Formats: sequence, structure tokens, C-alpha cells
Amino acid sequence: MKVKVVSRILEANDRIAIENRKIFDRAGVFVINLMSGPGAGKTSLLERTIAQKGGLRVGVIEGDIAGSDDAERVNELGVPVVQINTGGACHLDSNMVSEVLGDLPLDELDVVFIENVGNLVCPAEFKVGEDMKVMVLSIAEGHDKPLKYPLMFQESSALILNKVDLATYVDADIGKIRKDTLSLNPQIKIFEVSCKTGEGIPGWISWLKERSGKG
Amino acid sequence: MHEASIALSLLEIAAGECNKSGYGRIDSINVKVGRASGVMPDALLFAFDAIKEGSIARNAVLQIEEVPVSGRCSDCRKEFTVDQEYVLSCPLCGGGSFTITAGREMDIIDMEVS
Repeated sequence: MKVKVVSRILEANDRIAIENRKIFDRAGVFVINLMSGPGAGKTSLLERTIAQKGGLRVGVIEGDIAGSDDAERVNELGVPVVQINTGGACHLDSNMVSEVLGDLPLDELDVVFIENVGNLVCPAEFKVGEDMKVMVLSIAEGHDKPLKYPLMFQESSALILNKVDLATYVDADIGKIRKDTLSLNPQIKIFEVSCKTGEGIPGWISWLKERSGKG
Repeated sequence: MHEASIALSLLEIAAGECNKSGYGRIDSINVKVGRASGVMPDALLFAFDAIKEGSIARNAVLQIEEVPVSGRCSDCRKEFTVDQEYVLSCPLCGGGSFTITAGREMDIIDMEVS
């Protein structure tokens, strides 16, 4: 017998993401799903952002396949942090995030960053309950990335172009990254920063405060 | 890359529907996967075959229909379908204002149960 199903395969994930979002909204927290390939500088961006956040109360959910190095780095800066180990999964899903929500003092926070597993592909597919997605690309990864991994560029509200201090050492064409990214997503906001030197960080933080309506 | 978790969600939904229908086994499942969905059909088949063992769908065949990327241009007001996974400009008039109407699907359509 034929049975009609007509259902999105990721429906269960989306449903839990909506539940997470309700919990965040009730606590008045603005949530960012922070994504990038491995080594682009997600944790460095968090460190810089936390150091220069002004009055913003920040919490962090760290997602990694294994280990707690990133959570320890964030913990040293004195903000609430909880680690998720995906045990092999290449992205965070809404259920993994749901399970750790009770471990953060959400009522005392303005902004929560969910640092996804380092991967330019899969994290863009799975909603976790965020208000917006922000991605990091380091110029050392090369200017071909927007067209090779279009989905993440299409889904993100902001692109943090990191490691611009390396511009003279690598052959990346920043103009091409900008042009291709804007073709894929005309609304995206692009920040050129160096998490090493701090260049460009104030612009990102003031945009973050404006978008989140906090601080 | 995440085809295993997609296969797992697919199996959960299909098994739930099969139980609801009162039948005890799934013979086939038809799904639509858009070319811009990030899912590789071969990897999805592989993952599905690996996880279906011991489940209500252990004998099920997964049939995947690939959906190309389509869009509608608001400059030339025409509809288009392309072979690539993404569209940077309208392939008909070169305009930049268009909406993607298909190609991101990841849907279960129906299944055969007995």
C-alpha cells in the first residue's frame, strides 16, 4: 500500500530549533550560530568580542567533535560557557543544543554565541534555534571559497573576513571574496578584521549591539 | 557529509508513518533531494542502507529524485532551471533580482508499506 508522507526530512530538527528559540526569546537572549571551516578563527573572534564587549553580557555554547580546548579558552575570560562534544558528528543540531540550555544562566545574558563544529558545509543546513547565522572566513583559506561553499555564505547575516593582517603574505583576492559573497547574498554584512591585531573588531561589535538590540 | 543524520531522521519519520498506518514493513521510500541541498544521493543511500538494518525498513529501497535548481527572475519575469548548485545572476537576462523556487528540497514524498 502507498502511504503519502510529504514531510521535510529535517522537520524534527526544525521543530526542536523552534522550541530552543522560544526558550531564548523568553529569557530575552539574542543568539548567534557562529560557523566557519576549521581554523578560520571562530574562537579567536569570540575572545576578541568578549574582551571588547563593553556592557554586553555574553555566554557561549562550544561545539566540537571532541575535546574542550575552546571552552577552556572562553572560560578563562570569565563568561559562562558550556561544551558540547558531538562525538563525530560534523555539525551541531537543535537537539544537542537543547540538552545544554539548562547549563547556561540565560536570564542573566544578552547574547549567546553557539560556536558550531569547524566545517564549511553541514552547519549551514541545521537550525539550532538562532536569531542569525554569522560566519568567519580567513583570507588564508583563499578567495575561491564563496563559490565552492555557497550555502553558508547564502545563509549568513554577516561574514567576518579574518586574518587580514596576512594580506601581504597570501595571494587571496579580498575584492573577489566580497564580490562573490555579495552576489550570493546581497544582504550580507562583511567585516574585515584581524583577531590577532584587533583591527576591525570595534565595527563588528557595534553592528552586533545594533542587530541584537542589546548594549 | 551529514548524510548519516539525515538518513536517521528519514528513517524515524518513515517508521513513525508506517506504525501509524498499521502496517509492519516498509518496502520503498520516495524522497526528493534538491541539488542545492548539500546532500549527495550516493552518500544518503549508503547511510540509509547502513542504518536500516534491524528496523521496520530493513528491506526498504530508497528512491531518490534529484531536483535541479530553479528560480524566477523579477527583472525579465521568466522562470529558469540551471545545472549548477547555485545561481549568481539570472541565466536568461543577467539580472540580479531573482528568487530561488526549487533545489533546496529534502523531502519524503511517499512510501510503499505492507
